[in-house]
Parts: sequence; structure tokens; C-alpha cells
Amino acid sequence: MTQTLTRTLPCLMGSAAILAASFAAPAQAAWTGGDDQPTSPLACDASTVAPDAGSYNGGTVTGAQPSDTLRVVDVPKLVGIGYFNATSAGVAEAAAELDGVEATTDGPAQANIDDQITLIDNYITSGVGGILYAANDPVAIAPVLRKALEAGIHVVGYDSDAEPDARQWFVNPAQFNGVAKTLMDELAQQIGADGSFAIVTSTFTTPNQARWIAEMDAYQAKCYPEMEWLETVEAQEDNILSFNQAMTLINKYGEDMDGLVGMTSVATPAAAEAVTQADLCGEVSVMGLATPNAIRPYIKSGCMEDAVLWNPVDMGYAALHVLKAAVDGTLEPGAAEVEAGRLGTLQIINGSEVLLGAPTVFNAENVDDFDF
Amino acid sequence: MLRRHTHEAVLALVTLLAILVLSLQSDQFLSVANLLNQGRLMTEVALVALVMTFVIASGGIDLSVGSIMGLSAILLGTFWDGFGLPLPLAMLAVLVVGTVCGLFNGIIIVHFGMPPLIATLGTLALYRGLAEGISQARSVRGWPEWFARLGQGDWLGLPVQVWILLAALALAGAILGFTRWGRTVYAIGASETAARFSGLPVDATKLAIYAVSGFASALAALIFVARVSTTRSDMGTGLELDVITAVVLGGTSIFGGRGTILGTALGLILVQVLENGLSLAGVKGDGTIVLIGVVLIATLLVSTLTERRARA
Repeated sequence: MTQTLTRTLPCLMGSAAILAASFAAPAQAAWTGGDDQPTSPLACDASTVAPDAGSYNGGTVTGAQPSDTLRVVDVPKLVGIGYFNATSAGVAEAAAELDGVEATTDGPAQANIDDQITLIDNYITSGVGGILYAANDPVAIAPVLRKALEAGIHVVGYDSDAEPDARQWFVNPAQFNGVAKTLMDELAQQIGADGSFAIVTSTFTTPNQARWIAEMDAYQAKCYPEMEWLETVEAQEDNILSFNQAMTLINKYGEDMDGLVGMTSVATPAAAEAVTQADLCGEVSVMGLATPNAIRPYIKSGCMEDAVLWNPVDMGYAALHVLKAAVDGTLEPGAAEVEAGRLGTLQIINGSEVLLGAPTVFNAENVDDFDF
Repeated sequence: MLRRHTHEAVLALVTLLAILVLSLQSDQFLSVANLLNQGRLMTEVALVALVMTFVIASGGIDLSVGSIMGLSAILLGTFWDGFGLPLPLAMLAVLVVGTVCGLFNGIIIVHFGMPPLIATLGTLALYRGLAEGISQARSVRGWPEWFARLGQGDWLGLPVQVWILLAALALAGAILGFTRWGRTVYAIGASETAARFSGLPVDATKLAIYAVSGFASALAALIFVARVSTTRSDMGTGLELDVITAVVLGGTSIFGGRGTILGTALGLILVQVLENGLSLAGVKGDGTIVLIGVVLIATLLVSTLTERRARA
């Protein structure tokens, strides 16, 4: 009860404050939940431009001591959820393949910036050789990662980046504009190029979600100008809250809403559940970012066609390979590609990011091939 | 002396034992660099916990401290970056806002007679909601060097914020332990009715306590923003639980009337030592949380039992 209260009330208060702000500044455009970084929407058709490696902009490690076994700690945003269980399974898989690498996963119980920083700080003191991280905040985590680099610890990020100079490399699961394009193309195919849709996101401060939404906004304006973006609501990666928010949207817009897009692995199945319970399967299309396990029942029941994501096992696997390559010196600043075991050769983009590949679309045909 | 401070004695023993055991598990644990770093990491929680000792000793509770911290962090960004105030002025304004938030808690509790648990549960939601609404997912970054030093720099060999913490510790200890005002806090906690009939300034004292609690949360926000060099509306989420854990572990009675700053300081140190030492010893985060829960219950049990025996 108090849990729900403490979660729901801030939302209401937040909405009230936003409402007040929108009265105060009526000239401001409707707020979509995106960030204010520049966007770079891809071409509307399938044509692709080969990514440019760019010049290295990552950090440098100083005074690294070579040792027989490389002790690596993997610090996800939080532990105990399927997604990061999958990344740590990938890390463990790579550790088993590589010689002289010992990897453990340890993370905060909640996606809390302070807990994550303290945890990393303690591992720096204990003297690990490498740190893998998925940042809860790109700026807040930077000072402690810089401290690691100065202490001779190799630092590679995955999933959610920090400031580039605070780590050596970052395994980018998929480019933001690529994910935005896949999402909007799939959505347009389901609700039509003139459909209307609403979005359920995590929190307004989660960097990835805000970035995707900004890119989706830009891509929609460019390629589907007739589509109507109804509203973006916040649901904190919380099951019940996501369901309630989706239900509210269904009741609020009724027939005027053709599609619901979930921006997290929690929001997407919750939206599908809300549509199922409202008996609107087929009338309101649900899609979004989600892990295959989360959306499997709705794909089987026919209430969802597909969901978009990458393979987190591959991402964790690639992150440890990249770290090992950086330690061994086979991956040097300025490289254009890196070898990552069974994934083959991965490309380097934006100076110091390793691109995992194109996003994966999970649908009725392939959803059973994955387990995460 | 020992009889009056059984709990502190038990706690000091447990803390020493923990330090001894943990230092055998890891070479880095007792290094100067690590200890100073722990001081840096615990400052925000500690500042709020010092004032929370007054709040709880007076028979109250303040659940809104984490939300005031989040709101203060966001407002610091808004005042400085949004309104273009000079940073020192923005910092001052944030401290004022934090104090007003705390005072508002006090007014609801004192003048409308609302139980502190309910009142601050409400403002926990209210202040966090305001922080989220005002921030609109935007973080303010690019703080000047001198401000970052508040959270990341050193002065005379100690982290800058540890000096602030030491000053606050001395001040809080002196006020609660040696002044008439401190004794008023205990009297209110022991029996508010009796305190009122004794002619003590009950309402003014309670208002002041909650206002200072807000002030401490805002000060913690300034230090936290300087340490992590960004502002987020979810800063300080769950802070109230860490703070209350340390205060209660320190022997402050949740029913009021009892508690010392020394106890709170020991409680803070024990929690920090366990978190840090266990992590260095290779215990994972979830294991650490479980152990802190066990230590909290065990310490309180042992101290209650010894106290009973001492009295008998």
C-alpha cells in the first residue's frame, strides 16, 4: 500500500507540476519525454550508411600492472532482473572461453546511482584488474570510473554509457537512431502511417529511454509526419504502475489511440496485459522494447505481433572480449574493428564505441529461439 | 556512566569486532586512503542522521529527507542554470528552500496535529513529485571547479565534506548533550504532555527540529551534487531508510526520549564499515544488506538484554 502510494503520488505531483508548467509556458511544444541532445534520424528506406569509426575519444588507463589472472568485476545497473542476468551470463560465457580471466557480477539491489558508485569505489580499493559497468547515470558515475582508470584498472561499459573520457570502450547494443527506426517502422506497419500512439517509458531521467524517444520523435517527424504522438507517460520500470498507466491511456483516448509503445521490458508486457484485459487485442496494437521471455505469452495469444531489442547475452559476452582485448593491447585507440569470439568482428563507431549490431525483432517465428 | 550508556558500549564493542574481523579479510580495508574515502561516501547520510537523532529522540520521524534532498538537488540546478543566479547565491537559496520544506513538515505536524509518520510520508511524495516535475528529466552539469571540490576535493589532508561533517557532529553532540534545548528534546520525546505542563517551548522546539532536518537534507544535496557532478530528480531515493537504520542502530528509541549523537555516530560507522569491509572481502551487495539487517536486530536485542540485567 505505502509502496504504491509512494510511487503513485510522486507521479501525480509530477503531472501536476508539469501541468502548472504548461500553463506557465503555453508556447512550449508538447513534451514527448525525449532529451535535448541533437538527433540524427536515419533514411526512411532501408538504405544504410557504413558507420565511421571516428577518432578515439575514450579515456586512457595509467599504470596498469600486468598479472597472470585478470580479475574483472561486472557492475550492472542492478542485479536480480532477467535482462542483467542475461548480460552477466554473457560475461560468464566469455570468461570461460578466455584464458586467465576471472569475472564476477555484483551490482546494487536497486537501480540507484549512489549504491552503484559506492560499489565500484570498493572494488577499486580491493584492486580488481578490470571493471565492466552499465551506468545508472552517465555523469554521476564518471568521477569514480576516472578514479579507476587512474588506478590502472581497465574500464569498459555496456548497455548504458558514461562520459567517454571516463572509460576506454563502450559496447553499444544498437545505435539509438537504428532502434528508433526499427520501432517506428514496425509501429507504422501495424497502425498505419496516419495512426496515433502513446508511449509508456521508464523514468524521465533514464538516459537510454530519453534518447530513443528523442530519435523516434525526429524519425517520425521525418518519415511519418501524419502519425499522431498522443502522450508519453512515466512508469518507473514497475509492473503495476506500467499496467495502471497503460489502462489510464486506454480509458483516456479510447478509439483515438491505435498503438501503445512500451520503452522497457516491464512496460511493454504490462501494456499488452492492459490491452488484453480491456479486450482490445487487434484494435490497439502493442509493441515496443522487450525481452522475448516477457512478451512470449502475448505473442502466443496473438495480442502482440513483435517486440524489438538486442541480445543482452551477446552484449555481456562482447563487453568482456573488448576488455580483454584492451588489456592485451590488441585493441588500441584508433582501431576500426575488434574481434569478439563467436560474434566475429565488431565495428567501432563514434570514436570509442563497439557496435553490437542491428536490433533484433522478436516475433512468433523466432521468439522461442531465445531465453532471456 | 556505563549503565546509562550500555547501548553505546555494546555498539562500540560490535564495531571494534567488525573492524578487527574485516581487517583480517582484506589488506586494503584499514588503509588511510580507504578510510578517508569512506568518510567521503558517508557524509550525506551522516549529516541527515545527526539531525534525525533529534527528530526521533523527540518522538517524531522524518521520512521526507530523501525527497527534500532530491528537490534541493534539482533546484540547485534550476536556480543556477535556469535562472542564472550566481552559484553561491543559488546554494544559499537551496538551503533556504530545504529549511522551508522542513518547516512545512513541522507546521503540519505541530499546528494540524498530524502524526509525523503520515505527515512526512505525504511530503515524501510531494517533494519528490515536485523534483520530478521541475526537472523534466533534465540534468544540470558542468559545475565549476571550486564547487566540485566540495564533493571531490581535499583540505588539510581530509576530504572537504568530512570537515563539514566533523563540525556538524561536534555541534549536534554539544547541543543534544549539554544544552537546555537538548534536554527539552528528550523531555518532549519522553512525554509531550508532561513537557507542555512543565512550561517547555514544545511547539517551537518541534518546528525548529523539522526545519533543521530540511536544512541538513539540502546541505547533503549540495555535497552530493558536488560529488557526482550532476543533478537528478531521483537523488536521495531511500535515504530515509539508511538514515533511520543508523540512528536506531545507534540506540535512539523510536518512541522518543532517548538517544545520543555518540550512538548515531557509532551506528553510522558500523554500517559503513560493514558495507565497505564486506565488499572488500568479496561479499556481494545482497549478502551485505542481509548482514546489516541481522546486525541491527542482534545489536538491539543484546543491548536490551544487558540493560535489563543491569537494571535487575
